[in-house]
Amino acid sequence: MSDKELTFTPVIGIEIHIQLKTKSKIFCTCSADYTNDEPNSHICPVCMGLPGSLPVLNRAVVQQGMLAGLALNCSIVSPTLFFRKSYYYPDLPKGFQTTQSDLPIAASGWLMISDDAGSPKKVRINRLHLEEDVGKLHHSASDGRLEGAETSWVDYNRSGLPLAEIVSEPDISSAREAVEYVTALRRRVRYAGASDVDLEKGMMRFDANVSMKCSDGRWGRKVEVKNMNSFRALERAIEFEIKRQIKVMREGGEVLQETRHWNDAKEVTRASRVKEFYRKFIVEPDLPPMVVTPEWIERVKATLPEMPDQKMARYVKELGLTEVDASVLTDSRDVAEYFEACIACGANPVRAGNWIRTEILRFMGERQVGAGDVPVKPEALAELVRSVDDGNLSTTAAKTVFEAMLEGLPFAEAVKKSGAVTGGLDADALAKVVSEILAGNADVIEEIKSGKDTKGKKMKFLQGLVMRETKGQARPDEVSAAIEASLKS
Amino acid sequence: MRLHELNVREIAAGVRARKFSAVEVFDDCLDRSVACEGKVAALITTTVDVGRSQARRIDERLSKGEDPGPLAGVPVVLKDNMCTRGVRTTAGSRILGDWAPPYDATVWRLLQEAGAVLLGKANMDEFAMGNTTSTSAFGPTANPWDLTRVPGGSSGGSAAVVSAGYVPFSLGSDTGGSIRQPASYCGICGLKPTYGMVSRYGLIAYGSSLDQIGPFTRNVEDMALVMGILARQDPRDSTSTCGTRGECFSKLSDGMKGKRVALVRDFKEFTLDQGIAEAMKKTIAALESAGAEMVEVSLPTVGRYAVACYYAIAASEAHTNLARFDGVRYGYTVDSSTGLKDMFQEVRSFGFGGEVKSRIIAGTCLTEPVRSEQYYVAATRVRTLIAREFSEAFQNADCILQPVTPSLAPKIGEADEDAMKGYESDLYTLPVNMAGLPGYSFFTGHYDAGLGLPVGLQLVGPRWSDGELLNMGFALEKALGAPVIAKAGL
Repeated sequence: MSDKELTFTPVIGIEIHIQLKTKSKIFCTCSADYTNDEPNSHICPVCMGLPGSLPVLNRAVVQQGMLAGLALNCSIVSPTLFFRKSYYYPDLPKGFQTTQSDLPIAASGWLMISDDAGSPKKVRINRLHLEEDVGKLHHSASDGRLEGAETSWVDYNRSGLPLAEIVSEPDISSAREAVEYVTALRRRVRYAGASDVDLEKGMMRFDANVSMKCSDGRWGRKVEVKNMNSFRALERAIEFEIKRQIKVMREGGEVLQETRHWNDAKEVTRASRVKEFYRKFIVEPDLPPMVVTPEWIERVKATLPEMPDQKMARYVKELGLTEVDASVLTDSRDVAEYFEACIACGANPVRAGNWIRTEILRFMGERQVGAGDVPVKPEALAELVRSVDDGNLSTTAAKTVFEAMLEGLPFAEAVKKSGAVTGGLDADALAKVVSEILAGNADVIEEIKSGKDTKGKKMKFLQGLVMRETKGQARPDEVSAAIEASLKS
Repeated sequence: MRLHELNVREIAAGVRARKFSAVEVFDDCLDRSVACEGKVAALITTTVDVGRSQARRIDERLSKGEDPGPLAGVPVVLKDNMCTRGVRTTAGSRILGDWAPPYDATVWRLLQEAGAVLLGKANMDEFAMGNTTSTSAFGPTANPWDLTRVPGGSSGGSAAVVSAGYVPFSLGSDTGGSIRQPASYCGICGLKPTYGMVSRYGLIAYGSSLDQIGPFTRNVEDMALVMGILARQDPRDSTSTCGTRGECFSKLSDGMKGKRVALVRDFKEFTLDQGIAEAMKKTIAALESAGAEMVEVSLPTVGRYAVACYYAIAASEAHTNLARFDGVRYGYTVDSSTGLKDMFQEVRSFGFGGEVKSRIIAGTCLTEPVRSEQYYVAATRVRTLIAREFSEAFQNADCILQPVTPSLAPKIGEADEDAMKGYESDLYTLPVNMAGLPGYSFFTGHYDAGLGLPVGLQLVGPRWSDGELLNMGFALEKALGAPVIAKAGL
């Protein structure tokens, strides 16, 4: 078999660390939000692992872990244990990391994605386990790496932040699928409220296990690529690794089982120069077995919102939205909730969806705010949409009213301020405007009456003048009726 | 009678009644400690300034009519593995030679709230690993009854200071007998409470699932008084499950009638020194005449496997507990220019003593992925069997009477020669920690009529029977006599 006939199938599994959303750290009461604070300003004897200190498990972490697990279709496991995972590193204060390891709180979940051919594909999730984060090293070397650094500083603010590690089965076959998987996972976890999953704040990090299966029956060894903290890095790292491994195998070489680090700047993976520590586990004797009662699981389940993909399907099926529109509206939970609140107030779903997709999302993007912070409340937007639907407000007038509402005015006041009048014009007022317009356009009327306006263009012109004069408050059908009536008289 | 000779109850009562001041008590105890230290060497740190200012504050509060608590002005010594804010806490190791913790252990907080006053931090085997208090980086402590002998370990310093009359009570920690054995060697009372009875927060860990803090006193009433203060649930320690069980210490009674006291059938094959064997006979007679019934129970797994499994578990936990001592954040460190790994190596090579290193290495080996199942995991399974065996035994008995050690205190240096003998001598103490049970070590008298070494025995009961054990100890103390202060070579 010649080289050219060989085909390679990537086999990819992904480990994701997400920071769970809690006020305090996993084993102490230090604040979990240290953004922009001084290094080592959120530490105590417990998260520093000082001699004699003991961990006390934060219930909120367990709750958020369950929530994330349930959002990923996992079953909740109880009782479970914590273990000590031993290795040495300066950012690891106790010389071990307290983690759930192979007895995780949530297991056997799955997510649906679409494969490269566009067909639905299930990616199985092996487990979700809870653990503590470690500290952070800052090196004086120019590239920020440990090698060659003269001085290193340790910041323990991160030490003890609650993490969930989510491990997939090796069901992923391309970098694109990998990105789709992590995107779907991120959206669900954020929907559930288990994590803010802010990539820029390091709340989500990826490791990928990549190996290759060759059509000639050869299997490459598993390579763990670490250190990706963005979707793009994940995609590029997997692409790079797939190419690298194919090249090795095509040349008849053997892919070594190793850990490689993704260098974001150079866009290459490099074999890790720091030899992996030999990791060992014993039961964490300072924490009793963690028991989650069925009642607690039920309570958490009850707080789980409808997931984005379910919402999307429902919007398409029940509300008549296009898939694209539904996908935009369900991308984040607050927008979906805004939309649903809006239609609950009687707004037409398609029209409300359009308003939100264009105006509300634009505002949110410009101001960098969530849907909850948009000054136009869903009830108010519903009122606006209804008025347009009822013909009480023209689309043009509605835009002006909306702008006024964005400044914080309630619907009625916004209408007043923008000078629009709802409910159309009454017949007398309309007749007055029509007669004024007709009086000023005798030549046009002449042309219509003489039968020259075969295409109705002149008629439309008159209507337009009326509409402009009434600032769009008149109903188009009433305007044309009024003009026709005047012409006949 | 000098003030340092009074017991806990007498000092607290005298100070509160203002018969004498807390400062007077402290100074008298301090004098006694200064006089003895040259011979006994029981303290790593003497807290003269801290203690005297605490004593002064107690006196001030009393003069204002406030009640400083049930331990008003009572001097105490803490084993040096309990964190004391601002006072150096070494765990007997060079690696923590000058470390002053930024926080107090829960037990020390509770004692301060009760009015106790710190006299010093007691010498101990490094990181509580040892039987003799000779693995301390600060040198060995002597037995106040015979300065050529060991006081026991690892809480040897805490036992010696109570025995020699520095203080009426002290705290030790017991991972595998480290309170009961030195109490027995030094002729005082020592209680290893039920696991979870006393908070471990602030105790520098050796084997976390085995460690338990407990007091040394010179009589059983003081023991109950101190335990009544220490026994409470601590939200900072997830394994502290005391709840309201500490109330069992509020009142002692000596009703021995109808109590079934068991001897362990499987221990009969092991030899005991004559002094211990005689003490057993004497104690059995005392129990019977107080109305107790002697029965037998069987602990076959304990007899055969407990010691080996204990060391597997203790070492496995210890090597993880001691991994934090790496020179990065506190304690002994080096300015290493050779790199991270060298720094870790240098700090740990110099910082730790031989006994600690050997147990770290043992723990590292026993938990290696390929061996873990065979050793560490297997040991934890045997541990479950041991706990079950004990609870079955307690279906037929209220408590077990057994030796603490098979022999009396050995000469300094002698015990270290035969490591295997040391391990064998742990048979009576280790299983109690593995099952999380309470063990009370009590004084039965002196071998060889008054001049010889003191002889101790222990009562072991089911979980949370601590109060019951002290009740029995109360009856025994009436029959056998209370401990007395040792001459300490003076």
